[in-house]
Amino acid sequence: MDEIGKISVWATDIGGLHLVFNRTTITMTLWVMGILILFAVLSSRNKGLIPNPLQVVAELFVGIFWGLTRDALEEDMAKTYFPLICTLFMFLLLCNLIGVVPFMDEPTKDLNTTLGLGLMGFFIAHYAGIRTKGLKKYVSEYFQPIFFMMPLNVIGELAKVVSISFRLFGNIMGGSIIILVVSHLVYSLLLPPFLYAFFGIFVGTVQAFVFTMLTLVYISVQVK
Amino acid sequence: MEITGAELVRGLALLGAGICMGIGAIGPGVGEGFAAGKACEAIGRKPEEAGLLTRTMLVGQAVSESTGIYSLVVALLLMFVVK
Repeated sequence: MDEIGKISVWATDIGGLHLVFNRTTITMTLWVMGILILFAVLSSRNKGLIPNPLQVVAELFVGIFWGLTRDALEEDMAKTYFPLICTLFMFLLLCNLIGVVPFMDEPTKDLNTTLGLGLMGFFIAHYAGIRTKGLKKYVSEYFQPIFFMMPLNVIGELAKVVSISFRLFGNIMGGSIIILVVSHLVYSLLLPPFLYAFFGIFVGTVQAFVFTMLTLVYISVQVK
Repeated sequence: MEITGAELVRGLALLGAGICMGIGAIGPGVGEGFAAGKACEAIGRKPEEAGLLTRTMLVGQAVSESTGIYSLVVALLLMFVVK
């Protein structure tokens, strides 16, 4: 129970700055990246009309998210941003599901991961907005519908980043703490598999999907 | 029995955590139940759209849950960071 507050870190002092790296998050993210690259390599070899099982899974991801992206954006913008959306979903899905494996932690349990992905989505959406609409129209949209609404619009944009990253972080971290506490109270009998099924698999999948869809919606709102 | 200042701070932080999560759980419960009710109504009207309606309901509920998650994060901070 007392391992809840502890994070294993690498701490160095370089040039007068005290740098701290979360060891678990970095290791787990490297694992997830390795598994995803392995999946990509294995599912795209021997492409044929009769697919091997991994190719079916990959086509499922691509098919579903191509449909969603094409509904939200226009054709050429959809082709540009589709790899981002599909990769984001596959990365987050594997990140959240890897916590069910014993002795492995989810990388999204760390606010750094989710905040980084949220900021990435934010910058990509605003870059797409500036490139599509031009700088003048982009800035003038903050002064709609009346010009003293500008601070509220700016805060609204920043609040989107905070909400999207804290939603994912809170769901995964809170789920893992609830699993830990309840398993401790029940002496790890009978209940933990159901907890892992709900908090690990169900909530992990839904939250990965929600994060991806919200990033897509933010991009499409800026581009219109 | 003397209560020191540090123990008082710890005790009040735990009390705050309990109140925070308790009141914060009201909102998402009401909101998500409302969304589920509307989804049931819509499925009753058009049963062949049940898959799309269920998916949309789940996404809407996950977004509506986020304020409850914020109070969970504040409660966890109060429990584990305030010594």
